[in-house]
Amino acid sequence: MMFDRDQARMVLAIFVVAVLAAAIVGLTDIFTRGPIAQAQKEALHKALVLVLPKHANDAQADLLTVAETTIYPGKDALGNVRGFAWEVIARDGYSGSIRILVGVRPDGEIHAIRVTNHLETPGLGDGIVKNHDWLQSFAGRMLEGTRWKVKKDGGDFDQFTGATITPRAVVKAVKGALAFYNSHRQAILNAVEEQNAKPRGAKVSEHGMKLETKID
Amino acid sequence: MTKSEVFYDGFWHNNTIFAQLLGMCPLLGVTTSAENGFWMGAATMLVLLGSNLVVSLVRDLIPKNVRIPAYITIIAAFVTVVGMAMNAWMHEMYLILGLFIPLIVVNCAILGRAEAFASKNSVSDSVVDALAVSAGFTFALVVLGGVRELLGQGELFGFALFGDSYPDVLMFILPPGAFIALGFILAGVNLINRKLKQRAETPLAVTTTETAEAK
Repeated sequence: MMFDRDQARMVLAIFVVAVLAAAIVGLTDIFTRGPIAQAQKEALHKALVLVLPKHANDAQADLLTVAETTIYPGKDALGNVRGFAWEVIARDGYSGSIRILVGVRPDGEIHAIRVTNHLETPGLGDGIVKNHDWLQSFAGRMLEGTRWKVKKDGGDFDQFTGATITPRAVVKAVKGALAFYNSHRQAILNAVEEQNAKPRGAKVSEHGMKLETKID
Repeated sequence: MTKSEVFYDGFWHNNTIFAQLLGMCPLLGVTTSAENGFWMGAATMLVLLGSNLVVSLVRDLIPKNVRIPAYITIIAAFVTVVGMAMNAWMHEMYLILGLFIPLIVVNCAILGRAEAFASKNSVSDSVVDALAVSAGFTFALVVLGGVRELLGQGELFGFALFGDSYPDVLMFILPPGAFIALGFILAGVNLINRKLKQRAETPLAVTTTETAEAK
């Protein structure tokens, strides 16, 4: 016999505990999967409402994928595109990565930005969430004509008292987002047009045809 | 031990933070504000309640040699469940505390209670112990979080108390501030304990002077 009685009991005990623990975790996963997806969707919805210009569509349902980036387009009731939002990640913050949702108008001007997730120091770096004047200072900026640096580095954006690394990382990431838009603008606009052309309701597709002329 | 003795012991006399100085990782990590401290404490309470309950239920069934891996598996299961539940129903708080929730598994205070208490005591005593220990832990987290939030940002539970002119003392928000604040809090706790001890040691003298004064 390979196991004596005591060893067999040990193996059995650990086995039963592990199976039960796995069952409980698995059951919880089944019950929470829906609510977690819902909570994430709601959190994203709240942020999208803030960063996109006034829109009538469900930007999450209309998502586009251009150059491996998920883009949420905001459209008015007629299907005319009002703006785009997508997430950029700044990895050079003070701690961990900072996720920023950037909303731009079709001409490449920033409508608004919001930080959706970060691990920066509360009271220092979290000004990127709490400091509304600072967030507002991004509105209306374009890639050209803006010095995309914090003031300490000779740019247009304030740093915070005691925290330069965090805003510096955000400014850099937002600049990167605009550069991405400028180089993929045509592809993004084409993707919207294609989406509007699909028969999802006559109204939308009809006006989708006019999109190109409207924007340029 | 009676239930109230178990409670006093877990909440104050053997407080995880103030007396045992265990669980320093969540303590330093999340106590930048009173609210974060509170929710971290609440999550720990759920885990400890679950693990103490289950460990005391199965205490006679698990062979001694494998009890530690068995307890850790039980604790890890509860931590995962609490983390998922928080992600689902308290999404915003999860985004703030998410990093620290899985670390509850390695909070030695929890394995400590399973090993030192729940594995040797009845189910009802173990539940009382879990409530007491985690309430004491939460209390310590809220006190330290409150002190750091107040000194560091001039706020308490997010409400500004000193107005905009308060010069934020950045050090208290950063980890060194946690150690410094904890040092002063521990000094205060020792002072209280000394007073309690003095009072307990001189019951007769106090009663006689009091009666004398009353007359």
